[in-house]
Amino acid sequence: MAFNVLIVDDSSSMRSVIKKTIKVSGFKVGEYLEAADGKEALKVLAGAWVDLVLTDINMPNMNGLELMAEMNKDQMLRSIPVVMITTEGSEAVMQKSMEIGAKGYIKKPFMPQDIKQMLNNIMGEAEDDASDPDASDEGFDF
Amino acid sequence: MTQATLMQAMKDSISNVLETMFFLMVQINNGNGTLKEWFSQGQALLGATLSFDGPVAGYFYFLIPVDMADDITGNFLGLSPQEINEEQRKDTVKEALNMIGGGVLSLFDQKTPFKLGIPEIIAKSRIAHNKLQDLPGDFILIETVDNRLSAGIVLN
Repeated sequence: MAFNVLIVDDSSSMRSVIKKTIKVSGFKVGEYLEAADGKEALKVLAGAWVDLVLTDINMPNMNGLELMAEMNKDQMLRSIPVVMITTEGSEAVMQKSMEIGAKGYIKKPFMPQDIKQMLNNIMGEAEDDASDPDASDEGFDF
Repeated sequence: MTQATLMQAMKDSISNVLETMFFLMVQINNGNGTLKEWFSQGQALLGATLSFDGPVAGYFYFLIPVDMADDITGNFLGLSPQEINEEQRKDTVKEALNMIGGGVLSLFDQKTPFKLGIPEIIAKSRIAHNKLQDLPGDFILIETVDNRLSAGIVLN
């Protein structure tokens, strides 16, 4: 089964790195969707099927916590697992993220295995035949 | 005490971020040189700044030679230097400072939430070689095998 993943970060470079990291983790992703802030993410979520949201917290216009709060107001969107990938490392912010329903929290800088493990925990183990980086359709020079 | 603690946290955070995300081994130079002495005249620099607010408030800054910015952008994105554009270079430098700043505040006080700003590129005119002595705050001099960079903290 392939998952559609929405990556929300105001840094296009970071979105690209997260995308490549997921690719080499072996998860079958149907479609990668991207947004630069929470507002853009809500627009994407309104028009596309998304199985998992990976979001930064500190972003302009609408931050990751505000995005989650908006998603929680919607019957459909509140069921989508959300993982925070952020530089915010305070216990208070981590706790608040979990309180409003985040399924995971990854602190930047991260290692590729941090994302892989989180995806394993939330979406289930990747299939073996897809876990080989050579099997992915794009190289990864991490 | 606060400034000294923040500076130590910055040293630790810089090493962690540059090594983990950019595959760059760095060494902190404990000398007392100035930024004007640290960077060569004519060396083009790229700088980013990031504000923070909380029990202490101020901003971080990060200065990196443009050619080295290309190297870390290439390492970060898995691209060759020829493939890197201006936007990617600036975005990567801002993201590097974002991670460094977030790390500094986590190391400084993990229990207290700080509000981090959005990283911004510093105008070239402010970091021209003849203006470097005007930059406020304390800074750290950082060496790699073949290049030099710097990061600083200014408290309000």
